Amino acid sequence: MWRSVRGAISRAWWAVLGLVGLTHERWLGYSRLTRRTVKAVVWIGIGLLLVWGLGVWANSAILAAAVLLLLIVVPYQNWTVRGRRVGKWVLPGAVLLIGVTYPFYGTHMPELPIFGPFPQMSTMVAMMIFSVMALGLNFVVGYAGLLDLGYVAFYAVGAYTAGWFASNQFANRNVDFGAVGLLKGTTGIHFSIWLVLIIAGALTALAGILIGLPTLRLRGDYLAIVTLGFGEIVHQVAQNGDSLAGFNITNGTGGITPIDGPGFGNWARAHLHLPANYLTATNLDNVFFWTAVILVLITVFVSARLRDSRLGRAWVAIREDEIAAAAMGVPLMRTKTWAYATGAFFGGVAGAYYASYKGGAFPDDFFFQISVFILAMVILGGMGNIWGVIFGACFLTYLNQEGLSNVGAWLNGHFGPGGDVVQVWHKTLDVPLYEFGIYGVILVVTMLFRPEGLIPSSRRAAEFHEGVHEEYLYDVEHGAPIYEEAT
Amino acid sequence: MSDDALLETQRLRKEFGGLVAVDDVDFTVPEGAIVSLIGPNGAGKTTFFNMLTGVYKPTSGFVFFGGENLTGKPPHTFTHRGIGRTFQNIRLFQNMTALENVLVGMHVRLKGNAFQTILRTPKAKHEESAARERGRELLEFSGLRRKDDEIGRNLSYGDQRRLEVARALATQPKLLLLDEPTAGMNPQETAEFTDFVAKLRSEQGVAVLLIEHDMRVVMGVSDRVTVLDYGEKIAEGEPKEIQKNERVIEAYLGKAAVTSS
Amino acid sequence: MATTVHPEALAKPARPLGAYVMPVLAAILVGLLVFWLIVNFVKGPAYFTDIAFIGLTNGAVYALVALGYTLVYGILELINFAHGDVFMLGALFSASMLSVFGVTAKSSNGALAVGIVGSLLVAMAACGFLNVAIERIAYRPLRGAPRLAPLITAIGMSFILQDVAIAWKGPGYISVPEVLPTGDVFSVGGVTYTWEKLIVFVITVPVLLALMWLVQKTRQGKAMRATAQDRDAAAMMGIDVNRTISFTFLIAGALAGAGGLLYALYFGQVHYDTGFTLGLIAFTAAVLGGIGNLPGAVLGALVIGFIQAFNEGLTWHSPGSDWTQSIVFSILILILVFRPEGLLGERTPEGN
Repeated sequence: MWRSVRGAISRAWWAVLGLVGLTHERWLGYSRLTRRTVKAVVWIGIGLLLVWGLGVWANSAILAAAVLLLLIVVPYQNWTVRGRRVGKWVLPGAVLLIGVTYPFYGTHMPELPIFGPFPQMSTMVAMMIFSVMALGLNFVVGYAGLLDLGYVAFYAVGAYTAGWFASNQFANRNVDFGAVGLLKGTTGIHFSIWLVLIIAGALTALAGILIGLPTLRLRGDYLAIVTLGFGEIVHQVAQNGDSLAGFNITNGTGGITPIDGPGFGNWARAHLHLPANYLTATNLDNVFFWTAVILVLITVFVSARLRDSRLGRAWVAIREDEIAAAAMGVPLMRTKTWAYATGAFFGGVAGAYYASYKGGAFPDDFFFQISVFILAMVILGGMGNIWGVIFGACFLTYLNQEGLSNVGAWLNGHFGPGGDVVQVWHKTLDVPLYEFGIYGVILVVTMLFRPEGLIPSSRRAAEFHEGVHEEYLYDVEHGAPIYEEAT
Repeated sequence: MSDDALLETQRLRKEFGGLVAVDDVDFTVPEGAIVSLIGPNGAGKTTFFNMLTGVYKPTSGFVFFGGENLTGKPPHTFTHRGIGRTFQNIRLFQNMTALENVLVGMHVRLKGNAFQTILRTPKAKHEESAARERGRELLEFSGLRRKDDEIGRNLSYGDQRRLEVARALATQPKLLLLDEPTAGMNPQETAEFTDFVAKLRSEQGVAVLLIEHDMRVVMGVSDRVTVLDYGEKIAEGEPKEIQKNERVIEAYLGKAAVTSS
Repeated sequence: MATTVHPEALAKPARPLGAYVMPVLAAILVGLLVFWLIVNFVKGPAYFTDIAFIGLTNGAVYALVALGYTLVYGILELINFAHGDVFMLGALFSASMLSVFGVTAKSSNGALAVGIVGSLLVAMAACGFLNVAIERIAYRPLRGAPRLAPLITAIGMSFILQDVAIAWKGPGYISVPEVLPTGDVFSVGGVTYTWEKLIVFVITVPVLLALMWLVQKTRQGKAMRATAQDRDAAAMMGIDVNRTISFTFLIAGALAGAGGLLYALYFGQVHYDTGFTLGLIAFTAAVLGGIGNLPGAVLGALVIGFIQAFNEGLTWHSPGSDWTQSIVFSILILILVFRPEGLLGERTPEGN
């Protein structure tokens, strides 16, 4: 139905243009570059007019418009340097540049309609951290095609690892290994956060392997429920972990706090101008942000490499037809476990980093809905597509941190009590209260209308629309004959 | 365990609830042989195949390959030891290209681990390009030249069958199980395929176990024919003997056919 | 064809030692459990019986919800994630209906009965139709999609329903007015029975009987069973598969509604989150009994209900309410890994 509406609009549009002498055929006669330039100029112009018309103008809008224009018009895809296609790096490079310089121009950007001001740095840090988590979940859901509803468990293990190795939790052991910013006489284990990130990743990967052992052989929906169960068990252990057989592992509902910050020490500050201790740096959010960007880049790097490897192919084969893949020599358990452990690794790293940023590991952060929150990022953004997942993560994190309150304020300001436009409701609408319902709507609408996500991987899109051979080795092992039983 | 038997089953049995699909079958495939497994529909041939590849776990009995007891091991172990297969209803990876399908088949023979992959060491890069080269060679051997980048579902039926064989060959099998490979082929394609099976043995050194309904293929290329009916082995021997075997004729055509011949 | 028969094949295959590990471990576990129960019973028999009764009530509520899960799973092989939240809305509907009927603690027995039965019927109908609507919107369009797609929409619907509850009644705990008369009805062997205790049977038993009659004796019930066993064959026999599926969701929803009323009456407090937790526990019960198996769902629910009550109520070496969810989920994981067909389920040749 949508297609026919689009077709009608297109025909009407060209009919109007034809009146001034610009027919569709003439238009197609111009070069692609010309057409793209004209379209870009027109749309960006409209955008600028809107920004001015809505009264939210700032001069940075011109700069943004210029950057957009360049990115769209210039045919960089075909650039080669000494035979190597460098063109494909232009867009990612530009996005990276735009992202990394955000701390400098973020406060000078115009306000967006409805969504209000551009995100604050603390939100940007969270966006990067959740990008790492979403990319981690992407290994499991996007690449291997396993529905994981307990990813929050990995986030928790990572955070608590930071709590164990960089705080006063184990006060009777005093270990200082590269930590920064410690006062004399501090008790507890304090490793350098950089080391803690690696330990967290490794421990969480180990947890992933342990959880995966009984779990990954199950069929898809059982796997989903069991991972959910593990997520809830970890949550309860976190809440009740102050007296596990007499030991205080997680410090119970209060959580483990404070947690040290990352840093490079005084020597590095003096000689390399790197921050000695992030938590005392004057641009705290900025340094956390830039380090987080590096974490995202590392995760993207590993994702891309694994995706285009023998392991990545094995994952695709398992998604397509698990039984045929096994018959072709793909070891199912091992391959699925690799996806799970890799996803766990990055979840743990992100969790530890976030705990260091927030200064604590709190059980209240690790509830079930967070698993679905991260899942929604992957699904909305585009399962199996690195860009899509990052977009989904940034967008939903933004909504979670600022976006929903901003939208709520705008809605209430215009339609609520004392509203500017018309009063539709009488009590202030608390939009962030309905956060998870909104994510629920996103999940339902996405699965119904565009299951491959907004920025899809072409392979996944094909799998959703053309279909795959869905038959689990688990069912066969438990007595179901293979569908083709004829001879 | 006889010396030259590549594959051997002993009292292999598969029950589904109350139904006995394969009934205590003893079976061997000698090295380098081409054996056909025939029998009316429902005789249990594909179930037998599934046990020979680890997809089904036998209810009782044993599967030996190259002297090793593989009973109950997971499918990829069978492939690793050298048993490759195609499926009765084509089970390609439909959304992957032909070359990618074949590369998946090579999974079990490639060595690179994940860390080497991430870092893209020269060793890993070399292995990957060598694999692609081998994949192209296999596609050409199977009659799929220049179709490397065709998506599986876009290939013609005949090409899909050939791709399944190429993919199975990528696993470097010592024994290739082909499940009704000529189903749906016209007489010329069938004749070509019969030659292809002979070529598999002569050029690739692969033993072949064939489930077939087309007697031209069976007679044309088999060293030995085994007949299953209702899960039981009812006859075994050279193709010419089986053609005249009364029990076999009865199984296919009923008692009347036997008395009238 | 000279083959020497391998000696292994001749001897009757001895069960590997590993096969004995599982049953022995299970026996030890059960033995420890029984021992723990006996010790607690000895320490305080009356208290134990009280706790056991709470377990029975829990079990009844779980049974009503678990039946809904198992009915839907049996026919669609779908875990209806939103089912627990339908139950929660049922509890809210019941609470509202009770005040609509004007039922209070001071109502006469007649008015009370009318109010409860009326609320029951309304809650069952509302939840039934809500469930049908959910199926139409979120599951039916995805019938041909990969099986994980409707599971994801189910989660989405669950979140949406929770927010509907928040929008309607707010994010806090919603109290249900005490309406049951508190006096004793009768006592047997030193154990007194109040209305509170009896209401469980009064509501659950008729509902279960009605369900049994429906599934066994009616045409629609037969259609449900046929579609659950083999959807294509059922369609070929002339059964309208879509209508049967809708009907199944209707019944499942109605059961959840009944469970909701029971919960509201007995526990007196509903929270928008109640359905999520309770739903997962009820799903575990359904799996424990054998997913797709109706008596199994009831059995599993009773077992889980007792386990929860004993865990939270008993005092001798009991983990306590902090650990209930972990225990229940551990049971779920153990069942799915070691005995996925549950207690009563069979490993059928046709698969699930």
